[in-house]
Amino acid sequence: MKNYLRTLILLLGGLGLSNMTVGQTPTDGLMMPKGDICFLLNFDYGQFDHYWEGETLRKNGTIAKVQRKTALVMAAYGITKRLDAYVGLPYISTNSTTPNGGKFAGAKGIQDLTLALKYEAFRHKGEKGELTAFGSVTFSAPVSNYLSDYQPYSLGIGAPQLAWRGLVEYEWDNGFYLRGNGGYIWKGYTQAEREYYYNEGSYYTSWMDVPSAWTYEAVIGKWFMNKSLRVELNYNSSKSTSGDDIRAYNAPQPTNKVDMNRVGAFAQYFFKKPKGLGLVASYSKVINGRNAPEMSSISVGITYQFGLFHPKN
Amino acid sequence: MAMMTSCNMDLETELEYESYEFSGIDENAGSWKPILISNGNDITIDEPTSISSAEYLSELSEVKSMISAMSSDQRKQVNLWTNNSVIRWNEVALGLIAKYNLIPGPNVDESYTLPNPANPEGPPVFPFAHPPYASRALAYLSVAQYDGMISAWHYKFMYDRPSPYMVDPEIPYAYVPNNLPSYPSEGAVLATVSRKILTAMFPLEAEYLLQLEKDHLESLLLAGENVPSDLDAGKKIGEEIASIALARASNDGMKYAQAPKAVSDSLRAAAFDRFGWQWENLESPVRPVGLTPLFGKVKMWSVPNVEDTRAPVPPTPGSEAFQKDVKILEDYADNVTHERRRIANFWQDGLGTYTPPGHWNDIAGEYFLKYKLNSIRTARAFAYMNMAIMDGGISCWDTKYYYYYPRPIQMIKGFETIAGTPNFPSYTSGHSVFSAAAAEVLTYLFPQEGSVFQKWAEEAAMSRVYGGIHWTFDATVGTTQGRDVAQYTIEVAKTDGADN
Repeated sequence: MKNYLRTLILLLGGLGLSNMTVGQTPTDGLMMPKGDICFLLNFDYGQFDHYWEGETLRKNGTIAKVQRKTALVMAAYGITKRLDAYVGLPYISTNSTTPNGGKFAGAKGIQDLTLALKYEAFRHKGEKGELTAFGSVTFSAPVSNYLSDYQPYSLGIGAPQLAWRGLVEYEWDNGFYLRGNGGYIWKGYTQAEREYYYNEGSYYTSWMDVPSAWTYEAVIGKWFMNKSLRVELNYNSSKSTSGDDIRAYNAPQPTNKVDMNRVGAFAQYFFKKPKGLGLVASYSKVINGRNAPEMSSISVGITYQFGLFHPKN
Repeated sequence: MAMMTSCNMDLETELEYESYEFSGIDENAGSWKPILISNGNDITIDEPTSISSAEYLSELSEVKSMISAMSSDQRKQVNLWTNNSVIRWNEVALGLIAKYNLIPGPNVDESYTLPNPANPEGPPVFPFAHPPYASRALAYLSVAQYDGMISAWHYKFMYDRPSPYMVDPEIPYAYVPNNLPSYPSEGAVLATVSRKILTAMFPLEAEYLLQLEKDHLESLLLAGENVPSDLDAGKKIGEEIASIALARASNDGMKYAQAPKAVSDSLRAAAFDRFGWQWENLESPVRPVGLTPLFGKVKMWSVPNVEDTRAPVPPTPGSEAFQKDVKILEDYADNVTHERRRIANFWQDGLGTYTPPGHWNDIAGEYFLKYKLNSIRTARAFAYMNMAIMDGGISCWDTKYYYYYPRPIQMIKGFETIAGTPNFPSYTSGHSVFSAAAAEVLTYLFPQEGSVFQKWAEEAAMSRVYGGIHWTFDATVGTTQGRDVAQYTIEVAKTDGADN
């Protein structure tokens, strides 16, 4: 049952890629066996030297190239055959490369704690393959006092988030699979450390309304080497339901309307020995957006899965 | 869904207050000494018609029918403007400052284009409402409002024509009654003078401001406070006083403040010859000229000679005092505590915000309400505070470009900041001077609150050090400088007749 390890994968992708998309939910098409637990340790490196100011792609000598490094610890647990639980906690550091015109200090620290549940709603084995459907809910909230109003270096948006997603996957017997998911992320308010800000008008408060977003994803993948390796190509999209544009040559702020479309590739390998051990690697790049960084990211991680309450491995 | 709705917060977009009973109506304010004109009767208006005249009665019935047909949007306008619209117009100014406080970015060829008042659409748009620009916009707005109000008060108590709601009991008054005579309308003075000053300062907002003026004027009729002839007289005062203020503004030297590179380079060279140091812009691409090198030459409100308020020579780089400061800054940068970060951000008032002068206007407004100042007292308080703030800015800029002192990022290798380093020399700190000047005037006006204002001014000054963009002596000397400059304006305030 080694391939159940992949359950974690897209959760890590969403958390690590960018502060704009923290808190994605488990969006994989498989479930953990009851009583199994899986740990993930993942490292992500992202960078950008262009970003969309509104809809205009630009560079900015003040920030030069921004680097973002994320170390993520995560665990998944099979509560029942059809219900998985997840918990994840990232440590992030950000900085600009030197030389840069702004001389701003980067930021580092623990970001948001993520808790998630995924439920298998439907599974049907057909003649040529298998169709499955899932629903998931993910909650995340900051667990340190990082400042969200310090973009582009802030660790995250500094607000509670609640995401609902539906997911459908079809896997052919020859190892090809297609997966799609769509969801809505409610994002709450974040508190800045100033009592006034401009958001198409004056705001005399330290609270900022972070726009909620719709998200979509499409994945095509294939298993190789007798299901020891799988490779995926993915496309995902996030669109805010409200918000303002970054103003000319000005810093972004949490109230911005952030949209982005991203392409990526993902691979996962399961070792025969030692049993339960796996490796993951991914690459992604934002290909267009609005008030978003043109971020490209690579990540590598290691997973280890074993039966916690039914030592059968 | 329940969670989503219960999580919705009401985010304030303006100071929340309703009409209130004034602490007094200052019947003698018409004889106070104005700033720009010599007396309240310098501007003349016609004698009003009597309340028993046919003209007046016809105006009254017009107002009555307007009130009876009032829409809910109109009702909202009446509630918005209240019986002290000085604060509302000040908020309009703060919003425009924040909207235009965007530094022009580089062109594709790495050159920079300056905002040009002759071509406000740009790009870049005019103005760049940086702190000196903001201090000046607020000073002209407040001074013109104050002088207009003195003129209004002069005629109010000279003619003593009662408000419509007092003449006709069938007319409801939307606000708490204060027994102010209604001719000329002080609301109309404020609407017109504010629209005209702000339009000059923010030319691209002409249409928006005209609409605000119209809404405000209409609300005065709908509130039961004025008849149209009250408004006409108030508008006339507003127009005339604004013209006088703008005539001063057009010749106060601001148009030369953003000096060409040759002038700015000669100031730099003079400082280097004198002191052996020079500030450099470290942005990428480098900005060829600092912000408004000749703002220090702009005409001051209350200080006869800017050099009388110039700060003393700062520590020489490499000296013991300087090295001590380097250690302090390095320590703050290496140990960003939550409290220091909070202070740095609370007072940052950087690009895209209402600037440090705006922050003090925001603070002041709350105290004007707390002490239930009437609208002329509010205008007076804003006027003196903003005169002192602008004078402080001029004095600070004179000091900045005289000493041309380098910033921490220039002198400490590898130094990084949590606040944005501005495009002008370090010594003295603008925020420190603005804040101390504001706090000093507010302390004069509300001595019982003085310790709070002084503490905030000192905190605002230190916020620049915590942010990593100023030396401690920029902040401490700047605070002293601001207090010193403010005394000149306080001396004016003491003798205007209001505090007798």
